[in-house]
Amino acid sequence: MSKPAVKKSYTFQDRIYLYEIIKGLGITIRHFLANVRASLRPGPHTIPTTWQYPEDRTREISPLFRGAHMLILDDQGREKCVGCGMCARGCPAKCITVKRGKRKEGQEDRYVGKTYCTEFHIDLLRCIFCGYCEDSCPKGAIMLGPEFELAGYSRDDCQLFKDGMLTNFHRAMEEGKLRPPRKPVKVEGAAPGGSGTGAGSSSKSPGGPDKQADKTQQ
Amino acid sequence: MTAESQCRIYPEAINEPEPSGDYVHINIGPSHPAMHGTLRIITTTDGESVINAEPEIGYLHRGVEKLGENLNYTQFIPLTDRLNYCSAAANNVAYEMTVEKLMGLEVPEKAQLIRIILMELARIADHQVCVGILGVDLGAFTPFLYLFIQREEIYEIFEKTNGTRLTNTFGRIGGVDTDLPEDFGPMWNKLRDGIRKANDETDRLLTHNRIFMDRAIGVTPFSAEDALNWGFTGPCLRACGVKRDLRRDEPYYMYDSFQFKIPTGENGDVFDRYMVRMIEMEESVKIIDQAYEMYRQMPEDAPLMARVPKIIKPPAGEVYHAIESPNGELGFFIKSDGTSNPYRIKIRPPCYMIYQAFPELVQGEMIADLIACLSSLNIIAGELDR
Amino acid sequence: MPDWKIAIIKVVFIWCWTLIVAVIMTWVERRGAAMIQDRLGPNRAGPFGLLQPLADGIKLFTKEDIVPARAQKYLFTLGPVMFALPAFSAYAVMPFGDKITLGGKEIILQISDVSIGILYVVALGSIAVYGMIIGGWSSNNKFSILGGLRSTAQLISYEVPWGLAILAAVMLYGTFSMREVSLAQQGTFLGFLPNWGIFKQPLGFILFIVAAYCEANRVPFDLPEAESEIVAGYHTAYGSMRLGLYLFGEYINLYTLSAIIVTLYFGSWHLPYVDMSTFLGPISYGIATFLVFFLKVAFFLWLFVWVRWTVPRFRYDQVMGLGWKTLIPIGLFNLFITALFIQLSI
Repeated sequence: MSKPAVKKSYTFQDRIYLYEIIKGLGITIRHFLANVRASLRPGPHTIPTTWQYPEDRTREISPLFRGAHMLILDDQGREKCVGCGMCARGCPAKCITVKRGKRKEGQEDRYVGKTYCTEFHIDLLRCIFCGYCEDSCPKGAIMLGPEFELAGYSRDDCQLFKDGMLTNFHRAMEEGKLRPPRKPVKVEGAAPGGSGTGAGSSSKSPGGPDKQADKTQQ
Repeated sequence: MTAESQCRIYPEAINEPEPSGDYVHINIGPSHPAMHGTLRIITTTDGESVINAEPEIGYLHRGVEKLGENLNYTQFIPLTDRLNYCSAAANNVAYEMTVEKLMGLEVPEKAQLIRIILMELARIADHQVCVGILGVDLGAFTPFLYLFIQREEIYEIFEKTNGTRLTNTFGRIGGVDTDLPEDFGPMWNKLRDGIRKANDETDRLLTHNRIFMDRAIGVTPFSAEDALNWGFTGPCLRACGVKRDLRRDEPYYMYDSFQFKIPTGENGDVFDRYMVRMIEMEESVKIIDQAYEMYRQMPEDAPLMARVPKIIKPPAGEVYHAIESPNGELGFFIKSDGTSNPYRIKIRPPCYMIYQAFPELVQGEMIADLIACLSSLNIIAGELDR
Repeated sequence: MPDWKIAIIKVVFIWCWTLIVAVIMTWVERRGAAMIQDRLGPNRAGPFGLLQPLADGIKLFTKEDIVPARAQKYLFTLGPVMFALPAFSAYAVMPFGDKITLGGKEIILQISDVSIGILYVVALGSIAVYGMIIGGWSSNNKFSILGGLRSTAQLISYEVPWGLAILAAVMLYGTFSMREVSLAQQGTFLGFLPNWGIFKQPLGFILFIVAAYCEANRVPFDLPEAESEIVAGYHTAYGSMRLGLYLFGEYINLYTLSAIIVTLYFGSWHLPYVDMSTFLGPISYGIATFLVFFLKVAFFLWLFVWVRWTVPRFRYDQVMGLGWKTLIPIGLFNLFITALFIQLSI
């Protein structure tokens, strides 16, 4: 297999290196002067393309951002999670562990369903933040929130338990970053507000029909 | 332990012992400042010219295809993100299209348009990476940063659409799960101007610069016949002069209703690959314009998802489907046995075929050309090794 | 004050000054690069990152000093020294300004005005080549030796056009001494142009500046340390202060080359059309010429940074081709033209 011969043809301006190099220098000096002028302005975020991160956290992240998980409380402060384990079954990374317990007498103001999750554990080091747990939850009880600063000093620091998830929820609510659950998209040929599919969609109302967004594995 | 025995470099990894005479093995190792992922090239050189370059792959092998056998069809979508991580949306859509083909589903039109828009954005992002890295490897560091500023804006669109910037697990089997953000129109206008400006600046810094031209024209040319024999697809094939683009030759979705050009090169050298990518970025901008125009004319509540059962259980059978991903023909072969887990998923990565021809491409060139060639082929280790 | 005391004070002052300039150059390089690339650059260590070079220096001093196991230990240490020492020594003949009168004594702002000024600098530049090749060889590392070989070939090849450009300038001024070349650039030329070297030797200037980029191992000629190809070239295996000497030596070389460019081609300390000694007192005249010289040198230092972040780099054989096949003929042509003009007494 022989290589094809390549004919090089340069214009005169290309051939003397300097003309194009000086044009290139013009581009970079324009950027330079604009940036120097910008950086001398007062204020934290002067050059628009660089954020001085730890001091300047004003960058807006999208409301759909998939960060650390939150357990949702409804407007009466009751936990929506019924401990069904659909999220654990839907997780591609198998990082969720849920234990279910029955609701006792007198706990109706704490838990919505007849069962609730006694233990909820997410291994953040395995989580890929895909959002499938949120999509498969029939009650809309788990959501991925805006928290992205998740580094820890040891493996144990990066495990998220139920109390951590509730804390995330409260913090997101205080900061006003809590978003409504994602609306299911319209399905072809279905009535408005039609059912979700496959990965499912979060139901809008608690106690709605129990959607078996099933992820059985063989 | 003497100093000698402490310094052994695994000779069994190299097929031949250290060659005698003037030839020297140079190991362009898995960790190298020419940031292309974890690739290893064992070059045998005579001074500066390369006699033989033996690539070694597998440093980023994660067993994606095997993992797929234990996961649901829907749960496999996040794994496809991580194949060509520079353009994640294209991989997602390719996989979803294959499963839909197996199930015989027809995706509603609005969802098709959303998929097209995000795939073309991913194409622009991937080409920005490739052109930028080509500049960096050749010593021109600045165009890389100018292009990446625009790539950041593309990430913003991805984030507003689906939630994450890089590995957007975009779409579901049967359609898409989110709509475009409401302010997509203004964001796109700003982004279109930004992309055109960054491309223009990169063009003016590199294309007619004789230093760049000398480094790129005539460096590792490849004939069209050889490229077809080796299985090249994508910009590398088009740079060799073959006008093959799956969006035109085997159109899927609504690509046959868009007006866009297919750039081809002549010699298949580094310069042609660079030019093909630059022009393709511009063509992608035009496609997104047209697609968004069509999207805006669709009704607000058009369906975005086909009717699929809750558990995806395709009928038993096998199917292969490929799309024109930014790097070439990205194909998925799925064999299903009727259960909810696939029996076998095989991914046809475009870089794999291209990288096979690498020793052929660089034989006789200098080490500097080897690096330039490697970065112009856009070898992405995630896709190569799966 | 006896002369030798003045000389020692000058040496100490210029030593400190060059170190300060090299240190500031690291800051300028990083901030300048960042500003070109739409980002910020170091801004944590002190306001605008001005203490960053201090932090870098402390880091380089306190890092562990590693010598690779099979490296040649003494040559490994000798390499950076041989690179940095000629760089420092070249300042002995560099003019920094005209003269300053302190306590009734006229002191020239130059450590020593030897009659072979420029030749001395060229000779020292050749010794610096040894520093790179010894460093590359003794590291016992394929990437280093590649970098060392490339640098040797490149530097030695480009000494010829460098020498030719200098030769033409020397023929024009009739002397090697830097001070006399500076003094000769007073007044105007052809009635309206300042009597600077660039107007008399435009081709020589281009030749000199290309060769200067090559001697300084800066983009577009930085293949001995091309990061994407051979990791870091001849200083791959170096860390701590040995690397510091290489990096510092590089910046000091930049200052040397910029100073020679300014002296030969840009009128040294003269302002165009204005003779400062007529209206400034003796002390302020000295300081003013020092500042003018430094501003001109600063522009050329900035030019090095500016070009680095704009232009890609050459390939090895293209560098050789450019040097031997293009620049040497241009240099000879320039020499011929200069000789012609001098003979015709223009």
